[in-house]
Amino acid sequence: MSDQSTVETAARYDWSALAGGMRGAFGVAGLVMASSFLGFGALVRSLDVTLASGLLSTVTVWALPGQVVLLSMMAHGAALIATALAVTLTAIRLLPMVVLVLARVRLEHAPRWPEFLLAHFTAITIWVIANQSVETLPRERRLPWLLGLGVTLMAGMLAMTSVGYALADRLPALLAAGLVFLTPAFFFISLFGGARYRFDYAAAILGAALGPFAMEIFPDFDLLVSGVVGGTVAYLVFPPRRRRGI
Amino acid sequence: MSLDAMPVWLVILLAGAAVTYVWRMIGAMVVSRLDPEGGLLLWVRAVATALVAALVVRLVLMPSEILAAASLASRLAALAIGLALFFLFRRNTAVGVGAAVVALIAIELVGRAIAGS
Repeated sequence: MSDQSTVETAARYDWSALAGGMRGAFGVAGLVMASSFLGFGALVRSLDVTLASGLLSTVTVWALPGQVVLLSMMAHGAALIATALAVTLTAIRLLPMVVLVLARVRLEHAPRWPEFLLAHFTAITIWVIANQSVETLPRERRLPWLLGLGVTLMAGMLAMTSVGYALADRLPALLAAGLVFLTPAFFFISLFGGARYRFDYAAAILGAALGPFAMEIFPDFDLLVSGVVGGTVAYLVFPPRRRRGI
Repeated sequence: MSLDAMPVWLVILLAGAAVTYVWRMIGAMVVSRLDPEGGLLLWVRAVATALVAALVVRLVLMPSEILAAASLASRLAALAIGLALFFLFRRNTAVGVGAAVVALIAIELVGRAIAGS
């Protein structure tokens, strides 16, 4: 692959790709994310938390599960340590995603600060998009492209959080359920859309199968346990041998 | 210490932002020491995939109050229909996701009509 040689030669990012990434925000993934944040805005309203708190959590946490845990625990007046611990548990899953996204977009000899900046914008949606659309770009354009995407998505989600907050009491129940369903449906379909190796399919099936048991046995660590056990078994049973390109 | 004792923005920064970014930062720190084509990253990929699959199952089996407006049977059937159309339309993500959401609402409406008649 030419990938490896580009890593050796290019030493600076091509920031003109920022604009392309900004346009990339207006796609299926952006639409799905928008509906999630619409739901989040409605949730903020239902928790009796201020809109300002909801918006601050969107900018500084930028991971919906953590934001929901944080605001609902704040609403219940939980202890600071307990809240921090619960939120950090939901955030561990971001570590492998940051590693995977950065490994695919970083330049070996470029300054490292853009990587730490992109890390903040990395969450499931960005990981999914990186899986599906970054590969077609030249290596030096990938990180700026994703950063443009991330900044645009964040600005859009601030707007969606506010709209959801305002709409909270006005949506019909079944339509609201459809909006909330967009997120699991998108993640589910993307598992197959981004699959490239046999172990991808095996990991998706094993993770899904282990999920319910892990929820019973390790209620707070279920995602971590399902991920590590399911992923490791899938990887060992189907060792990587490139099977099909996308 | 109770959360009431400090300003809300400080709670969000300490118990939300800082404890989230720390994992992203560790990810950014270790990536330079990993071989992008190596087995370790592929294993990490398998773990992330299984984790997201488990997350989907949790979101569908233990829905929020809003999603619970649709029954478990509707939710599972909608995912199956979405996946089928995704493959039928040559792995088109937009078609798959759209079909799943439309199917959820349609199945639920039909189910209610049958139950009500």
